[in-house]
Amino acid sequence: MDLVDSYVRAVAKALPEEQREDISRELSEDIHSEMEDRQRELGRELTPAEQEALLKQRGNPLLLAARYRQDQRSLTIGRELVGPVLFPFYVKVLSFNLGLTLVVIGAIFLALTASGQRMGFNNIVSTCLLQLFIQLAIVTVIFSLVQKHLTMHPDRWHLKGMGGGVALDLKVEKNIKQRIKHDKKGWGPEVSRLESISIIVACGVAVAWITGVQNYPFLILGPASFFLKLAPIWYQIYFPILLLTVAEIVRAFINLMRPDWVLFRLICRILVHAGGLTVAYALLKAGTWVVAAEGGANVSAGYKGAVEIVNQVLYWGLLFSVILSAGMLVFRIVDLMQRWRWQNKMSGAEATANEGN
Amino acid sequence: MTPGTDNHELFENLRLELRRGSLVLAVLAALREEQYGYTLRKTLAEQGMVIDEGTLYPLLRRLESQGLLVSEWREEEKRNKRFYRLSAEGKVILKELLAEWQRINASLNGML
Repeated sequence: MDLVDSYVRAVAKALPEEQREDISRELSEDIHSEMEDRQRELGRELTPAEQEALLKQRGNPLLLAARYRQDQRSLTIGRELVGPVLFPFYVKVLSFNLGLTLVVIGAIFLALTASGQRMGFNNIVSTCLLQLFIQLAIVTVIFSLVQKHLTMHPDRWHLKGMGGGVALDLKVEKNIKQRIKHDKKGWGPEVSRLESISIIVACGVAVAWITGVQNYPFLILGPASFFLKLAPIWYQIYFPILLLTVAEIVRAFINLMRPDWVLFRLICRILVHAGGLTVAYALLKAGTWVVAAEGGANVSAGYKGAVEIVNQVLYWGLLFSVILSAGMLVFRIVDLMQRWRWQNKMSGAEATANEGN
Repeated sequence: MTPGTDNHELFENLRLELRRGSLVLAVLAALREEQYGYTLRKTLAEQGMVIDEGTLYPLLRRLESQGLLVSEWREEEKRNKRFYRLSAEGKVILKELLAEWQRINASLNGML
């Protein structure tokens, strides 16, 4: 009954925590009752394909979970952009992004204030509003695209990993790991087209942002761009970052055409991740990431203090990111090796079975 | 979109609206006898009221939260199942709803 567990788990993940266990138990019971009923009619066990067909009839786990939720809010501007199915996820992602943005902006302001820089109220407000607007626009565009896909193709999802319900879960790595245990056919579930489209959109936005930062440091430094500017290292790593982002877009595009190229994705992700880690390491090694906007001997002690504080904050941030990223890369490599071993084991078992026949 | 498609969509929406009210009545009536979700769904389907589980279970929860149903988890055939039945308040409401239903039915029969 692995398929049933996967389905129930996918529904449960989209449910409010307080109802999760209760609804999952009842849903699981209902599915098992239906399967047993069907088995009695047929006088035999159901095949995995028949089990899958029964589960498919129940619909996309995301849509099913939404029917249990009391919260039926949506985002509508003229037409419905984000419906009740995705709205709770939209709010979560948006809150996280906006919260993070405000914390970063707040930290920059504090650093500047601590170093004696005077900040105009207009600067503070305009910076916050611009950053919040950018975040809001990006998250809304991505979610409305996913919503459009869900509305147009509510039945386009697969139990073995891809599509609507499961692919939208943010704990992607955990899901992949859980699925390896059940997957006996190959390298893992097919690559979700929804995931590929999301990556293409997200990377497209990232390319626009990275390119914009070159000319408008305001996009990354916020109000601090009046006093600070990016160190030369950022301009040196611009092309490697651009290359990696474009490589990820190409990879996602290929997987959009060929979702069955799972091994291709696994290898590409490791390569891109390793490339990203190399760039991050080069960035970390640079030691200085921002410099005073007014160079030379005119730089006051206050300016120098602000630059030092911001560089310190960036140092710890970068160090943390590099360590985290290195850990994730190791995890991905181990994951690939496990899959490879599993693949070999299954091929060996198949060969032995064929010899036996 | 063609007029035919428009009409079909309109009919579907109106049909769903009509069914929504009747479903509550059907579920309450079926739960005069204690049942668990799956058998309730089968009972309703046998009576021509096909209802998918994505509609039935949220409805059962709503009716329970409104105090019209009570439920308990119990073991049957070596598995834990959640059994639902009408509460005392549910019985009163059902009686009133059935009387209302008869009145509507009589009125409509007179008009149709």
